[in-house]
Amino acid sequence: MISPLSGDRASPWPRNAFLVARREVRLRLRSRVFAVTTVVMVVVVAGGILAASYLHAGTTSKPAGVHVAFSGGSQALEPSFRSVAAALGQSVTVTNVADPGTGQSQVLAGTLDLAVSGSATAPTGVADESLPSMVEIALDAASQDARLAAAGLAPAAIASVMADVPVQRIQPTGSSSQVLDQNVFASLLVAILLFVSIGLYGGFVAQGVVEEKATRIMEILLATIRPSELLAGKILGIGLVALLQLGIVAAAALLAGGLAREVSIPALGIVEVASYFAWFLLGFLLYAAAFAAVAALVSRQEEVQGAVTPISVLLGVSYILMFFALSNPTAAWVTLLSVVPPSAPIFMSMRIAQGVAVPWQVGLAMALMVAAIVGAVWLAGRIYANSAMRVGMRVPFLEALRG
Amino acid sequence: MSGTNQKQLEIAGISKRYGDTVAVQDLTFDVRAGELFGFVGRNGAGKTTTMRVVLGVLTPDAGVVRWLGEPLTFAVRRRIGYMPEARGLYPKMRLVEQLTYLGELHGMAGADARDAALRWLARFSLADRRDDELQALSLGNQQRVQLAAALVFGPDMLVLDEPFAGLDPVAVDVMADVLRERVAAGVPVIFSSHELDLVERICDRVGIIDHGRMVACGTVDELRAGGPDRLWVDVPSAPSGWADEQSGATVVRIDGSRVLLELAEGADDQAVLQAALAAGPVREFRRAEPSLVELFRDVVGDAQS
Repeated sequence: MISPLSGDRASPWPRNAFLVARREVRLRLRSRVFAVTTVVMVVVVAGGILAASYLHAGTTSKPAGVHVAFSGGSQALEPSFRSVAAALGQSVTVTNVADPGTGQSQVLAGTLDLAVSGSATAPTGVADESLPSMVEIALDAASQDARLAAAGLAPAAIASVMADVPVQRIQPTGSSSQVLDQNVFASLLVAILLFVSIGLYGGFVAQGVVEEKATRIMEILLATIRPSELLAGKILGIGLVALLQLGIVAAAALLAGGLAREVSIPALGIVEVASYFAWFLLGFLLYAAAFAAVAALVSRQEEVQGAVTPISVLLGVSYILMFFALSNPTAAWVTLLSVVPPSAPIFMSMRIAQGVAVPWQVGLAMALMVAAIVGAVWLAGRIYANSAMRVGMRVPFLEALRG
Repeated sequence: MSGTNQKQLEIAGISKRYGDTVAVQDLTFDVRAGELFGFVGRNGAGKTTTMRVVLGVLTPDAGVVRWLGEPLTFAVRRRIGYMPEARGLYPKMRLVEQLTYLGELHGMAGADARDAALRWLARFSLADRRDDELQALSLGNQQRVQLAAALVFGPDMLVLDEPFAGLDPVAVDVMADVLRERVAAGVPVIFSSHELDLVERICDRVGIIDHGRMVACGTVDELRAGGPDRLWVDVPSAPSGWADEQSGATVVRIDGSRVLLELAEGADDQAVLQAALAAGPVREFRRAEPSLVELFRDVVGDAQS
């Protein structure tokens, strides 16, 4: 039976793009590449957060449970040792032991960190080799108090002798804090993750486009659906896979942040994390369209690297400059780069993570980004449609643009 | 069913050049409903370019492709089953998934597409390979999948670029049966091939293309009618050279005692028969039907000079 076909049959644009996207999602979720990259990202990100919180804990907070035991005359030092240790932010557990020998054997056994013996003015100590230096300083100070008292000084006089020199810490204008705090660390992590995932998934788009040219299925596809449907479906499908993977990574990051609960990381707030997703999506759409366009110019997998180089360089330069911007996120050039499209995804999310992004700048950056995406998709669609069927020689860029 | 002489697909005045190379020049022909149309020509003659223009993957410099009298639209093109010269499917996709996907892209519902995919895989004896990736198959089997891909969505027309190339004899028979079956269902089929015996055997009409122009088009009988009459005459006891002096006939070929004569315009074959009888007992006297291979050599040779 021949159906007299007419041109008025609605051509299902969204359905075709959906079918293409669904194929991408299915095949990619099944691939080993997805499993491996997900595991690597989770390990790097969650591990990084846990490491950062550990590092932070190591420098400023107090590892609990330094056990110190006094014997003989040195027991008189206990009260002042306790108070100095507390002032130094070092938590200690103080006990008594009968004699120096018991103390030493407990240190050897690992149940005691420091055994103090001797008199109050001439104490000696045996300590585990990992004894925090703060504990030693506290012991020195306590024994100095005792010696000063023995030398005839009144407690009030001792206090005035031992008074701290007041030092006020200020940050010089124009320079930046040297402290690598958690937000800087988190912003670095976010920027790296964004760079890696935009590059990775943009690269998948480029490879996918060339795969279809190299395997020649392009000819069947383009006899069936429009180039724009194919392009949109491909970008959409790979984008969804990327969002899923980043969702897994983000969940792991939040979980790791929860495990390291001694510290709260402002850069891992819900709003912040949501904004990283938004910036990933914007960045991905822009770069994926650009990658697809240049990839359509070549026909073989070996040529993909060369074809996408200009786009990769653009992304790479933003990434490298980000390292210089990390310590100075409010500088004028950093603000500018966080607003203009090619560098905005990495720069703006870095600044959001550091908590220095101003709302109007974020809004402007997003608006410019959306405009750039619209332009890039239009351009990519044109180049793609004009070069998708041209297998063999690399298609000159301007020729592909003209059609 | 529509009338069988209806012009289903018309290729009207198509021209296409690549730079300085003319691929197709003012090419015109048509394919009718329920017709198997064989498209033959030497390599580079313009067959693939023509098919790509029909499928809309190439835009012609001039001319138009019509479907039932109207310019071919995108929606109609989606209903054409196409097997491109450059074979290509996804190497890492499972057969049944791949065919289902293509069926869906052509507008089928998911379940229908899957049913059709399984049916065609069975038809091409690939049912047990349905969950294999395409790249795991031999080239011949990949070719069968490629054919299934063109057929899976129940196309309203088939355009096949050398569908028989690379197939084993069993697969050739299956393919020929499938094409005949589609044609019987009223689907016009156009395919290119270098296997002229096969084309002669199964096609309703043949188009011979050379240097981008259609140099002959019609049924094989019509193509024969255009040429001079030829006779095979066998007079075993006649002296060699008996036929050389026959007026109105020239010797084209000698095969043992058999002689192939070409009659001049208006010459009488009965005079030739009498001359043969005079030379000795006649064992064979029949009109020579040139094969498509011979017709092809004639027209393409003419076009060359």
